[in-house]
Amino acid sequence: MNLIQEYIEFWEIRYENIFEYLLEHLSIAFVSIIFAIVLTVPLAIGMTKMKNERLKQAIFNVANFFQTIPTIALFALLIPIFGIGFTPAVVALFLYALLPLLRNTYAGVESIDQGIVEAAKGMGYSTVQRLAKVELPIAVPYIMSGIRITTVYIISWTTLATVIGAGGLGDLVMAGIGSNNTYMIFTGTALAIILALTVDLIFGLIEKRLSVSRG
Amino acid sequence: MKKKLLLALLASAMLLLAACGGEQSADGGEVFEFGAQSYTDPKIAAQIVKILVEENTDHEVTITEDIQASPQILASIDREEFDFAMLYSGEVYNNHFDDVEYSTNSEQTIENAQNLFGEEYDITWFDSIGFKNEYAIAIQGQLQDSEGIETISDLEPLAGDLRLGTDTSWVERDNDGYRGFQDAYGFEFGDVRAMEVSLMYEGIKNDELDVVTAYTVDPQIAEYDLRILEDDAEFFPPYDASLVARNEVLDNYPEVKEIFDNLVDTVSTEQMSQLILEVDLNGRSTEEVAREFLENEGLLN
Amino acid sequence: MMEFITELLQYMSDNSAELIALTVEHIVMVLQAMGLALLVGVPLGILAAKVERLAPVILSLVNILQLIPSLAMLAILLIYFGLGNETVVIGLFFYSLLPIVRNTYVGIKEVDPGVSEAGIGIGMTPFQLLAKVQFPLSIPFLMAGLRVAFVIAVAVATIAPYIGGGGLGKEIVGGINGQNDIRLIAGAVPAALLALMADFILGIVEKTTKRRFRSVS
Repeated sequence: MNLIQEYIEFWEIRYENIFEYLLEHLSIAFVSIIFAIVLTVPLAIGMTKMKNERLKQAIFNVANFFQTIPTIALFALLIPIFGIGFTPAVVALFLYALLPLLRNTYAGVESIDQGIVEAAKGMGYSTVQRLAKVELPIAVPYIMSGIRITTVYIISWTTLATVIGAGGLGDLVMAGIGSNNTYMIFTGTALAIILALTVDLIFGLIEKRLSVSRG
Repeated sequence: MKKKLLLALLASAMLLLAACGGEQSADGGEVFEFGAQSYTDPKIAAQIVKILVEENTDHEVTITEDIQASPQILASIDREEFDFAMLYSGEVYNNHFDDVEYSTNSEQTIENAQNLFGEEYDITWFDSIGFKNEYAIAIQGQLQDSEGIETISDLEPLAGDLRLGTDTSWVERDNDGYRGFQDAYGFEFGDVRAMEVSLMYEGIKNDELDVVTAYTVDPQIAEYDLRILEDDAEFFPPYDASLVARNEVLDNYPEVKEIFDNLVDTVSTEQMSQLILEVDLNGRSTEEVAREFLENEGLLN
Repeated sequence: MMEFITELLQYMSDNSAELIALTVEHIVMVLQAMGLALLVGVPLGILAAKVERLAPVILSLVNILQLIPSLAMLAILLIYFGLGNETVVIGLFFYSLLPIVRNTYVGIKEVDPGVSEAGIGIGMTPFQLLAKVQFPLSIPFLMAGLRVAFVIAVAVATIAPYIGGGGLGKEIVGGINGQNDIRLIAGAVPAALLALMADFILGIVEKTTKRRFRSVS
């Protein structure tokens, strides 16, 4: 009972700060995701039309390479270029988001039944028309599920951004570790998880909507 | 094939887990563990202890570096995973004890730490090794020159436009953290960012920060022309560095206790600052720097 | 830049023995975690696939584990398991569960009902069906999950020093705290190579199993 009271008190004192961390967390995660989407979705669609297998493989390899650099190291490596705070955090998370987005979008567009594409061709659709009216609508659920999975991961990884001064819920976790306060560790962790699950849920609903309206 | 792979993995896991534990030094003595946080001063202190113990006794000391923070060091002492550490007296106000009386007096704080931690963890908290490593508000030199700021209170009119860089726990610390700071000084900074300590100075260097919560022993203060402001509200608690050791070890090995006793009051703040500079800015190893210090001080026979 | 590379190579050759030892330590931690994750994850995945009611519970549980920020996970594990590599292994194990459980589950679910029917038709018991038909057919999926888990584990293992663990993180974290870029990169390069290699090798394994186990269906 005492524990709950103490914990409520903890929130009473700190709720303003906590919301600030939450907001920072969301903005870091979303800015990186949005940049990554803007780059990868058109790129992946372009890649499905690409004839050069080598180039395709090269693009995947580059994205894969970023994925393998340990998070802590990547953050540290970006500091000489981007300084501390928001920017290097966004850049790092952007780089991490590339591969899953690329893979899912590519696989989504690739999986479209060639029969449908041929039929559209037969109806005299141009490449752009075909893409806009046939291929994209079919691929959207795949693209959305890629975005969903990636966003969930990025939200979790954003916690590490605290080490380079970008703020977010990681601040709360690290502060808890440094100042011997389990409430802080717990709150930071729990909020990061809840945030990720909520986003997962919302995106899941959107995904369902999109595939229903299609079918 | 699958099964074999699994079995092989399991077997290797078992073997490796079994291989740990039960050590003895080359001379037939004990192997002690020294746990050091991620800062450079405890790492140097660890080397000093290691060198002295290994030169003067049959025992060996292994050092585990880069532990996240002091509470984790204490937790590991409690589990008897670490035998030695270097901690700061102000740690006693860091949410460990509910009924500790907060004081900015140096002697009182060290006494608090000795009594409370000593009892709680069955350790001896020695008198200070000689240096202090306190939180201090430091600002860019040019800011001091142009605005004539001497004390923390002088910052008040500017604070709204200033960017503060601090370590990852200060903002949320209870007694001596940002919350208490705002109560004591009655103002807050425009932007507050928590980060790893080494990056704080990087930020000052690149003009991304104006103010930092420096540690008084950091050589970067001089290196980057930072100025420490007078703590005119006497807000920051003292952080006198002390060696700590588990009583069980000290009781069983008086020769180790003697070494720890002799290290009281041997490294001044200026000296430690110089040693850190050798490591952090000149890239020398902590072992080399510690040995050189002991030789110069005649502590190594 | 050139100078930096020369310095880096110099450092790496001067400390090659140490770096190799750290790399081995790193690999061992990851392998132990993978072994544990397979040992626990595969049965969990099968259970989820067989007992439909348990599926959401098991899957969301491992999903939540995966979402715990790595620094917090290690700090919490430290309290219960103490310092050192074993605690790191437990953390890596938790992170690896999701891809392994999920892919085992999906793999078994994906097995063509026709194939399962055929198995039942020739008189297989449910256990035989699982062991001889469904599980082998799901192995390519499992391999894909293992591949993901491996790459993540190699990266997460680099924060081991914060709880007294070893591996390549020692160079990385030591480099960050000592503002020593050479050390940082000397640790990060082998870690990244390790992840790339694991990804590559397990990619091949995935393809091979696909050919071996899927060609039947």
